[in-house]
Amino acid sequence: MSQIRVIRIHNELLGTYGDQGNAEVLAFRSKFHGIATTIIDVAYTDDIPRNGNIYLLGGAEDAAQLLSLEALQRNSNLSEAISDGAVLLAVCAGFQIIGNSFYANGKQVDGLGLLDVESTPGKKRSVGEVKSTASVLNLSLNGFENHSGITKLGSSAVPFAKVSSGRGNGDGKYDGAVLGNIFGTYMHGPILARNPQLADLLLTRATGRPFSQIDDPLATQYSGVARKY
Amino acid sequence: MRLRLSLLLARIAGSLSKSLLRKSGATIPGKVLLTLYPQALQALSRERTIILVSGTNGKTSTTKALTQIISQLGTTVSNGTGSNLDRGSASALMQTSKYAVLEVDELYLAKVIEQTNPVAVLLLNLSRDQLHRMHEVKKVADRWRKASEKAKQTTFVGDVDDPFIAYVLEGASEKIRISFGGHTHADGAVCPNCGKYLKWEKANFSCACGLASRNYDSLQPAGNAAHRNAVLANATGSVFNAPTIAFQEKNLERSLTKDFEGRKCSVRLVKNPASWREALTTIKSENVILILNAREVDGIDTSWLWDVSFEGLRGRNVSVCGERAIDLSYRLHVAGIHNVLEKNFDQAVAKYEANQQIEVLAAYTAFFSMVSA
Repeated sequence: MSQIRVIRIHNELLGTYGDQGNAEVLAFRSKFHGIATTIIDVAYTDDIPRNGNIYLLGGAEDAAQLLSLEALQRNSNLSEAISDGAVLLAVCAGFQIIGNSFYANGKQVDGLGLLDVESTPGKKRSVGEVKSTASVLNLSLNGFENHSGITKLGSSAVPFAKVSSGRGNGDGKYDGAVLGNIFGTYMHGPILARNPQLADLLLTRATGRPFSQIDDPLATQYSGVARKY
Repeated sequence: MRLRLSLLLARIAGSLSKSLLRKSGATIPGKVLLTLYPQALQALSRERTIILVSGTNGKTSTTKALTQIISQLGTTVSNGTGSNLDRGSASALMQTSKYAVLEVDELYLAKVIEQTNPVAVLLLNLSRDQLHRMHEVKKVADRWRKASEKAKQTTFVGDVDDPFIAYVLEGASEKIRISFGGHTHADGAVCPNCGKYLKWEKANFSCACGLASRNYDSLQPAGNAAHRNAVLANATGSVFNAPTIAFQEKNLERSLTKDFEGRKCSVRLVKNPASWREALTTIKSENVILILNAREVDGIDTSWLWDVSFEGLRGRNVSVCGERAIDLSYRLHVAGIHNVLEKNFDQAVAKYEANQQIEVLAAYTAFFSMVSA
C-alpha cells in the first residue's frame, strides 16, 4: 500500500487540545516511508467514511464530546473499518467515547463499546506531564494530560501504557487501553508529535509494512526534551 | 485588623518591595492588604464607581484605553500593569479616587464582581488559554454567566459575535450587546447555552435555543481585535456619558518597538491560539522571530501550537527561540515551514542584517523580559 487515508474525525469538536496535529504528524512521517497520505476531515454533519486506514479522535469538552458520540452512532462505518484492519487512535474525550460508558455534563452515557473500559468523573483533575511505557513494543512515551476521568479496564482490555509519572487512567499506574489496532490514551502533546515512533507503529499497522528508522534529528531532539515532571 | 492599619502596613510592604526587591509594587501591597483585611475589596469599593474589564485577550490594553476614557470624568485609578488577580485590584484601590477601572483575570471575575459591586463590566472575548489552569472554556463561561445573573444592578458590555460572551450577556439584567457584523470563533462549534451544534453562516451564529449573534443592541463596523476593543471601551464609557476617544489601533495591541544594534524589531505579545492567529494575520516583514516559553502564565503545555495555522509564515526568514523553541520549531517543521532554531533571542537577532525590519512574536513571559530589559 503506497497511499493511505487518515480520517480526522470531528475536528471542530475534538480539535481543541492540539490533537489534530496527530494527523499532520502521520502525513509527515509517512512521506519518509514513501507513502502518500491524504487527511480527510469529517465534520459533525458528515458521515464517517468506511474506507479510512487510520481514524483519529481527539480531546473535547463535555458538550462537544456528546455531539461527537451522537454523530459517530449514525452509522457503523468506524467499527466495520476497524474489523477490516483499520487503525484507531482515540485521545482523552475520544478515548472515553470509544469505551463502554462515560460521564458528560453529569450524566452517564453509553459509548461506542469498541474498548472494554468505563470512565467516571474523578474528584481531582489530572493535569500535567505524563511519562509511560507502551505495552506494545515497549516504547517510552511522554505527553500531557488534562482531564478528570477515572477509567477502569474490563477483562478484555489491556492497558495502553504503564505510567511512571502522571496519573493516566486516574490511578497513576496505567494510561489508556489497547485492543488490536484500537489505541486509547489520555495523552496530548499531541502524542504522535511527542512520540514519532508511535506514529510509525500506527503506519505499520495500517499498511502491514515494517519501516526502517527515519533520520529526522529535529524529531529526535523534540521527543527527548526534558520537561518538568 | 482595622482597615486603616492594614492599609498602612500594606503601603509599607509595597514601598519595601519597591526599594529592596525592585518590584513594580502592583501586587505586593494588595497581597498584604488582603491577608490582613480579607474584606478590603468590598471596603475600598464602597464610595467609588467600579468598572471591570475581563476576557481572554486584550485586557491590559483595553483597560488602559478605558481608563483614559473614564479619566475625563474624574480621578481614576487602575491596575493597568496587567496585575489582574484580586491582589492587583486591591493594590489599585489603595489610592483614593472617584472611579476605578480594573482588569480582572477570568477565573477571579465572579469573585471580584461580588466584592466590588461594579457599575459596569466589559467582557471582551473568551477562548482557550492556559488550559492547565482554566481547564475548559465552557466552565469559565458558566462562572461568568452565574455572576451576570446575580449582579442585577451592573451593566454588562460585550461583543456578542463571540458565542461565549453572547451567552454570558443573555443572563444579565442590564446589558449593551455589541456586534461587529460577525466574526468566526475557533472554539465556537457548540452552543454554550444548550450544547447543540451551533449553526454558523459565514461569520454569524444562531441556535435553536435562541442564542444568536444577531441579537445585538448596537451594530458597529467590522475590524480587527484592536478596533473591536476600542469600540467596546468607548461603549463602556457611554454608560457614564464619557466623551468617546478615537484610539490608534497600535495603542490597543500589546506591542513595543526596540532597536537591537541597528535592527528595528517590532515585538508583539502572543499567548494563546486566538492571539497567535490575530498576530499572524498582520505579519508584513520578511523577517520574523518567534519566541516561545511555557511558564505558568504562558501555559505550561504547548499542545495548542497544533491548533494554530502558521501558513502565513511560509517563505519568510523565520527564526525560533525561547525556552520551548523546539516545540514550535518542530511544529513548523512538520507543516513544512522552513525555520531556524536559535539558542536565544540575541543569537536570533544577530543572524539578520543590520537595518533590517524584524517582526517578533513573543510569548507572555518573553515579552515582559523585553519590556523590563
